[in-house]
Amino acid sequence: MAGRTLPVPPSLAPLFPGGTLRRGTTTTVSGPPGHGATTLALSLLAAASAAGSWCAAVGLRDPGVVAAAGLGLDLRRVVFVPHPGAGWAEVAGDLLAGVDAVLVRPPRRARLTAARHLSARARERQAALVVLLEHTGAWPEGGDLALSVCAGAWEGIGRGHGHLHGRRAEVRVSGRRAAGRAVECALWLPAATGAVAPARREAAERKTEEQKTEGQEKAARPEGAGFGVGPEAA
Amino acid sequence: MERLVVIWCPDLLEEGQRGEEARRFARVVAAAGELCPWVHPVRLGVCALPARGPARFFGGEEAVVSLLAARLGASDDAAGGRGGEEVRIGVADGLFAAVLAARAGLIVPPAGTAGFLASWSVATLGRPDLAVTLQRLGVTTLGQLAALPATSVSDRFGTDAAACHAVARGESGELAGLRDRAVERRLRVARGEDPERGDAPPPPTQPGFFGGTSEADVRAARSFVKVQERLGVEAVLLGRLRGGRDPAGQSVLVPWGSPDTDAGTGGGAPWPGRLPPPAPTDVLREPLRAELADAEGNAMVVTGRGLLTAPLTRLSVCGGPWEQVVGWAGPWPVTERWWSARRRTARLQVVTADGVARLLRTERGQWWVEALYD
Repeated sequence: MAGRTLPVPPSLAPLFPGGTLRRGTTTTVSGPPGHGATTLALSLLAAASAAGSWCAAVGLRDPGVVAAAGLGLDLRRVVFVPHPGAGWAEVAGDLLAGVDAVLVRPPRRARLTAARHLSARARERQAALVVLLEHTGAWPEGGDLALSVCAGAWEGIGRGHGHLHGRRAEVRVSGRRAAGRAVECALWLPAATGAVAPARREAAERKTEEQKTEGQEKAARPEGAGFGVGPEAA
Repeated sequence: MERLVVIWCPDLLEEGQRGEEARRFARVVAAAGELCPWVHPVRLGVCALPARGPARFFGGEEAVVSLLAARLGASDDAAGGRGGEEVRIGVADGLFAAVLAARAGLIVPPAGTAGFLASWSVATLGRPDLAVTLQRLGVTTLGQLAALPATSVSDRFGTDAAACHAVARGESGELAGLRDRAVERRLRVARGEDPERGDAPPPPTQPGFFGGTSEADVRAARSFVKVQERLGVEAVLLGRLRGGRDPAGQSVLVPWGSPDTDAGTGGGAPWPGRLPPPAPTDVLREPLRAELADAEGNAMVVTGRGLLTAPLTRLSVCGGPWEQVVGWAGPWPVTERWWSARRRTARLQVVTADGVARLLRTERGQWWVEALYD
């Protein structure tokens, strides 16, 4: 088996301890519908499929193939099982035995036994399991790593002009493997290119802060606090 | 486009009164499958397989065709029944041309597709209405259709005709209606299997059979076959890009293991009228009915000049509660000469106060949510 990790796009590396998606682990991706969780979950498969790993996406009912390609997925290496039915967990289990990464969207809140079975299967077959949820609690096991998308906002579209350019979103990392670090990352989910990209959160914040505190002294704020990456953020 | 071998059984194209055609066709598919992997039924009486691997293995496409002809001609001997089925076999680039090549019993040389197709009638496209219209315009052959400029075909006749045009030019081998999605199920019934589950088909990827298959590919193939056993052959899909304006038309999902699945994922050619990226993550196979209204609660209409009647303020999906609209863009025409009385259709991107972005389409005064940006 080639290596113990799977690559992720560089802009997502700060979300992962060691900067890679570890085989045998479960990562949950959650967010309210329409706020970018699907974009984030799909992009976790991008670099792995591009590097030649087989990937599978189970339970994405109407997969946007063009969006997937835009996020960098190699379509020749990604199978979609849009309608796994009631046996979704068995289907995901079968695929964990065959491919390097499985993205699954359970149709409802998963039972504890199903969640445990899948996480154990991922460990045993050394595949990466990515679970797409509306909120973290919908996966009773809790993931090794939990990525939650919050506060997504579209840019580029006005009232009757422009078009959707990109969505700026915050992604928060928690879970067992986050090792107590509360990492937050500002990302374009996606950017105007169709792929994910790092967003300069400072710029946006500074702008609003400047508007708020005009004429006042700027509050002293440690650079990068709250969304730093690496040990200093602990 | 992938080179395909197509086996065409003229006697088995339609189910007769005694219903034995599906059973006989299942025998043809099984017999061909013994010789080559990846044999895939296209519709009743027609099956296909990629040409490249077998041609390398057996020493050329002609060898493959004659082996298959010999095998299928004698396919019933073992069963002690009648003689073999009448089969015609052809090879060409892409499914459409390969089916015609089979009907003619020809091997069309690589890249010779457009030339081969040129003399066939436009009726072969399986679009009677379009064929009548084209013939009235003096366009009777695929060659004449191919000679028309692409933009005028799509403007005048719509996206399906544009797909036919691409096929006539030999740029595409796939056409809606060419494949019958129900054929797998009919074959399972004909073989006396549970139509929902089916018997275990042999893994389409056989290690080392044609070379170039890694251990990881075999492992993945096994798991896909297992899922197909659970859910049916059409449950495991690969996405492919192709030219098109609509979010739904720019890509297609094809069953994994079908002959054309490794036929490349290109199709990124510029396509006028396409929305700029990012593309929506959820392209609804069944669009959702929606209502759009202005501040006074009047239904939103696109005017004859392609403008909204008033600033957009509210959206309701599937009869649900009204949501505040905070941003919108469009309407964008679906085709260049789009705002004719015949086809009033345009697209709109709409962002509601909860931050959710949707792609809407209007047609005949009705709005539909056709995609989501999750």
